[in-house]
Amino acid sequence: MIAHLNRRHILQGTILGLGAAALPLPALAQTSARIVIIGGGFGGTTSARMLKRFLPNAAVTLIEKNVQFSACPFSNLVIGGARDITQQQFSYDALAASGVDVVNAMASDIDPAAKTVTLNDDTTISYDKLILSPGVDIRWNAIEGYDEAAAERLPHAWKAGAQTELLRQQLEAMADGDTVIMTAPAAPYRCPPGPYERASLIAHYLKTRKPKSKLIVLDTKDQFSKMALFQEAWALHYPDHLEWRGAIDDGAVNRVDATSKTVFTDFGQASASVINIIPPQKAGSIADRAGVSDATGWCPINPLDFESRLQPDIHVIGDATIAAPMPKSAFSANLQAKVCAISIARSLSGLSPEPTTLANTCYSYTTPDQAISIAGVYSNASGALESVSGAGGVSPLGTDLSTRNAEAAQAAHWFETITAEAFG
Amino acid sequence: MHSPLLRLSLLPLSLLGLAACGQAPSLGEQLATDNKVELLSQGALLAATCSGCHSDQAGAMASLNTYTEPMLIEAMGRYKSEREGTTVMHRLARGYSDDDILALSAYLGTDKAAP
Repeated sequence: MIAHLNRRHILQGTILGLGAAALPLPALAQTSARIVIIGGGFGGTTSARMLKRFLPNAAVTLIEKNVQFSACPFSNLVIGGARDITQQQFSYDALAASGVDVVNAMASDIDPAAKTVTLNDDTTISYDKLILSPGVDIRWNAIEGYDEAAAERLPHAWKAGAQTELLRQQLEAMADGDTVIMTAPAAPYRCPPGPYERASLIAHYLKTRKPKSKLIVLDTKDQFSKMALFQEAWALHYPDHLEWRGAIDDGAVNRVDATSKTVFTDFGQASASVINIIPPQKAGSIADRAGVSDATGWCPINPLDFESRLQPDIHVIGDATIAAPMPKSAFSANLQAKVCAISIARSLSGLSPEPTTLANTCYSYTTPDQAISIAGVYSNASGALESVSGAGGVSPLGTDLSTRNAEAAQAAHWFETITAEAFG
Repeated sequence: MHSPLLRLSLLPLSLLGLAACGQAPSLGEQLATDNKVELLSQGALLAATCSGCHSDQAGAMASLNTYTEPMLIEAMGRYKSEREGTTVMHRLARGYSDDDILALSAYLGTDKAAP
């Protein structure tokens, strides 16, 4: 049906915003606009690189507080002992070499009226367009007693780096026969299937290295991402090493005592030698300073160009956004960065953003060499992100393990590609 | 970094100067003009998703560098119509209209720059 369409027709039909008649060519690539990006994760780096390529004469500045990036995707393999932390670490050198001005500083304030960013050394940077890709911050004390000091004893490891290594060290140090507890938050939070991938890989570590130990997952929810697939894998691989308890079974933890390493639910309490609290989250706090987060703690955006619904000329991408049903994932952040960068380059050339189709893919490991996936396709044409009906879904249940092995290899390939696109 | 989008920068230099000459160029000339195609075509916007997984490096996921426009149209059409497969591509392809697939394939196809 579609194969016999004439290609010339196709090309002409796909020029966005330009008719077939000769029109003034937009002054693309000639702008000297000042574009500032805050946050050097998958969203920020990708948008910086794209904008510098689209608009070589623009001043593109990336502000990032860390000198080195630690990737969250695949960090659960580090926690499970199947991967080295150095494989998660990436530098900003290549991005700087591509012409992006990488500023190693923390953005402390934003003035949307004056269109300035203030750094923690009181330097001020002006912008024409600002992109915030601040990721998530922990809602400290949303679980009573869980503050920054408590996280040093009960790691969250939901931002990769030192917390990842801390949780790994605690698992290595515990005795065979000790109990591990993990808590999982209510949606929305970064990486919806992440807690269950982590549970799988911790259970794998216990099964192979500390077979008398067990992981208990205490969940604030009764349903979670890829649930049937995870439960299939758990029944197959970890019947003696992983127990999941949902909200209906008093799984919701509402208080912790870091000193005694104890968690409290409505009707009970439990202690363990290793406790991983995956706490409630919100948009990175610079979003609050910019006035782009709302009462939910997250950032409403126009999904055509990811411009804030609350502040003009500030765009927000990645985990900080309200983009459901598009999940908070590295894949989403990377794609939102590209759509945002194309739209900003068009905007600076006098062209409006265009609707399109977006997608997401997330892989989760159930063992160090088996993985499952979820995919979704989304349209932004209505002004909201909406799932395209009939598309998306999860890996088939009950399949042979060669499919799980193949998806693990595909996951590894995805990680190589996306980190190369962001940092390579 | 090996984004499929970068391939556009390999287009002949002779085409790149056309935009600056003061005459309104034809659509074909605009398409051939370096990064303008990335900003003006629906295919480029759609293909932003593909490069999240597919790079110049072939491996567990294919490199699209060896795919011509007809090959892409055929592959996406097959993914879209087949019942199920062992990768995410079937689940993804079902979300793309025929027009989407044509635009994507026209943009990403390695034969696109040919006369």
